[in-house]
Amino acid sequence: MATTSMIAVNRFGYGAKPNELILVAQSPKEWLIKQLSQSPPVAFNYSLPSSSDIFIQLHGYRKNKKVAKKIAQELAGKDFDKQMSMEGVVTKKARNPAHKLLNQLSSDAIDQAIRSDHSLNWRLLDFFSNHFSVSASGPVMTAIAPTLEREAIAPNLLGNFEDLLLSVCQHPAMLIYLNNERSFGTNSQINKNGRGKKKVGLNENLAREILELHTLGVNGGYQQQDVTALAKGITGWSVARIGRDEGSGFLYRANGHEPGSFTLLGKSYKKSRKNAKQGEMMLRDLANHPATARHISFKLAYHFISEQPPESLINKMVKRWLATKGNIREVMITLINAEESWHADSQKFKTPREFVISSLRSIGDNKKLNLRQLMKSLSALGQKPFSAGSPAGFSDSGNDWNGGSAIMARINWSAALSSKLSFKHTVNVETIMSNSFGKNISELSYNTILRAESKEQAMTLLLMSPEFQRR
Amino acid sequence: MQRRQFIKSMAATLVLFKTPNAVAKALSATSPKSGNKKIIWVVLRGAMDSLHTLVPTFDTELSVLRPKLLASIKDDLLMLDNGFALHPSLSNLHQWYKKGELLPITAVSSGYAKRSHFDGQDYLESGLTNIDHDTGWLGRAVNMKEKQALAIANSTPISLRSSEASTWYPSQLKEADEDVYQALMKMYQNDELLINRLEDGLAVKEMADTMVGDRALNIKKKGQFIELSKSCANLMMGNNGVDCAMLELGGWDTHNNQATRLSRQLKALDQGLKALKDGLKDQWQDTVVVVATEFGRTVKENGTGGTDHGTASAMFIAGGSVNGGKVLGNWPGLKNNQLFEQRDLMPTSNTFSWLATVVSQQWSLSDNQLKAVFPHVDKRTVKLFVG
Repeated sequence: MATTSMIAVNRFGYGAKPNELILVAQSPKEWLIKQLSQSPPVAFNYSLPSSSDIFIQLHGYRKNKKVAKKIAQELAGKDFDKQMSMEGVVTKKARNPAHKLLNQLSSDAIDQAIRSDHSLNWRLLDFFSNHFSVSASGPVMTAIAPTLEREAIAPNLLGNFEDLLLSVCQHPAMLIYLNNERSFGTNSQINKNGRGKKKVGLNENLAREILELHTLGVNGGYQQQDVTALAKGITGWSVARIGRDEGSGFLYRANGHEPGSFTLLGKSYKKSRKNAKQGEMMLRDLANHPATARHISFKLAYHFISEQPPESLINKMVKRWLATKGNIREVMITLINAEESWHADSQKFKTPREFVISSLRSIGDNKKLNLRQLMKSLSALGQKPFSAGSPAGFSDSGNDWNGGSAIMARINWSAALSSKLSFKHTVNVETIMSNSFGKNISELSYNTILRAESKEQAMTLLLMSPEFQRR
Repeated sequence: MQRRQFIKSMAATLVLFKTPNAVAKALSATSPKSGNKKIIWVVLRGAMDSLHTLVPTFDTELSVLRPKLLASIKDDLLMLDNGFALHPSLSNLHQWYKKGELLPITAVSSGYAKRSHFDGQDYLESGLTNIDHDTGWLGRAVNMKEKQALAIANSTPISLRSSEASTWYPSQLKEADEDVYQALMKMYQNDELLINRLEDGLAVKEMADTMVGDRALNIKKKGQFIELSKSCANLMMGNNGVDCAMLELGGWDTHNNQATRLSRQLKALDQGLKALKDGLKDQWQDTVVVVATEFGRTVKENGTGGTDHGTASAMFIAGGSVNGGKVLGNWPGLKNNQLFEQRDLMPTSNTFSWLATVVSQQWSLSDNQLKAVFPHVDKRTVKLFVG
């Protein structure tokens, strides 16, 4: 049975940092709601490269590689094997920057979440980053996947959902991940000019996932013709190519847009060749559709509160959503103020990401684990950032994370972390226990931890205790 | 003995004695066996394109609908019968076919009518008309016949839920000291979920230590399908092995650049299945492998060298005793009026009816038992196994 401060810190946040439980105790709800006024809601290390910087880096890398190849060919003549080995020598210094960027950017987010005083906001960011999941596969996506949450989600995190949706769907990471950057109308100008040489056409991947995952939900009442209509509405939504001096970021290619008016969910959207307006109008309406309000309210309640969220709670959130044009901050305040959100039993099993972040918060010193180890940890526990592998993102269901094999991996990870900490001098398990749980720990867990045969083992047991595994 | 009790007693044993051989003995002494008939269920996540895998070369519409995609494989296709052919990457499956150990089935669908991967996969795994995330068709069959099942995954996939299936996945982490497990067992005594999962994890760990070992496992390759298949075969071998296993392979959602991506994917599948057969040795004779995906893809190639979400796809049944060497299922045709909603391959048979036939023939399920596994489909009359 948990106290309200314990609930505030764990169910809504990423677990207690040292002394945070005491700080929260006075007014847990206010502590949470105040975080939603934080500006900016989350802050990154902005000295790391943006998606535009990354495109420039990747372009430079490819160019260098080409030059290296040419030099190698000239040096080695027609001997192919020699060419390959020369190429190796010449390109040695030009490393593909993608993996390093992925690690830097995604571990920065985790690092910030561990140290943050506003971990509710980080939970919310991670929720929407997973809602709009993009995967790091292939050199371009590997490098830019983590920029979506930094550039499109974070700035709109506490605003209206329609702005968030639009910003995400016009970000290069989403456009490339779901293949919209080259989705063009069959009757577009490009095809007419192409003289039949190089026909292009529609790719409905992004449109389908917008309807199924990002807005209405799979049972939201759309049909195949709606998918096609939306796909046509967003034809030409593309990404600028650095090598062709097109600048960087979102680029609307008017000559790739399918001409005509299209009917989405019974409403007709006028043609707009000159700008991206047609698709934008479609997205704004989708964002404010009652099915979207319900789909995302349900997902939020499922994520924060319980895998069987009460209908009354969802209804409150939907009502607020529709009254505020999908204002995420307002919907979250409704969630926090609802009595249904404060049941005393912890019903959610932490995901690996939640588990790792809350573990490191409880210890209060994340220098013990460097950022590379952080990424390795999440990979070993099955939730490496940007590797969900499908646009549905990682599962939010406990059953997908608490299998026998997964529990064994968590034990191993906890033991490895515990052995890394230099207990003898710096870490006091009793203090960490009090920081993490206050009085919210069963006698059995408390005694088992205290009676462990070493400090390392005690720390492992603390992290693996039923109270720490759930929120 | 019920699976749960069995696992519990085994976990207790191993915490006390901690010798792998004792565990192996415990397994062989208590495991309920009947003829050692094994089932391996392989789910391809992302909707595999059947027209690029089990290719109907005889259908003249194919080159019209998919000029680029067909051209990329046309010259190297591996011919089967009646004008069907396998993708060039499926060389092992092709040999199985020639030996009569493979049954490709064309134009199948689970009956799932929308085109969502995630919903479609849940539907395929649950095997009910309304998706139930807590019970899967294979889990129900496993329960019915008191089989031991194992998912090669971190947590139990829907297919095996409702049974006491274990999970195993190669660990990238150094193992904790044994005494931690004992302390955890004590701490979890009032927590049913955690103690069950811990016992399960321990039991499978011991089994894997004895039967898989770390010898063949290259750390970097651990998660690859071929490595998982090798381990899967090891965990099924002999009298100590499990009766039923589930493997998953993602990466089939080929909206763009399909020719290259499917060459790679199908090669991974082909080599993984070969590794399964090689690892199973004589056991292959008693094993059936079923490979299926949530739905198929559009018959027409899209604007980016790929295909979008469709309806019917193909599935494979393989094994040492499979009455193979022919293509099953009816070909619906690719003319516009023969397609589903004028865009997808039309289903001509139901995936579950084939799955029902496989389980009922392999594990001798009575009609009543089968009804509990698949309440809404009937098995087919075709004899899937020789002898």
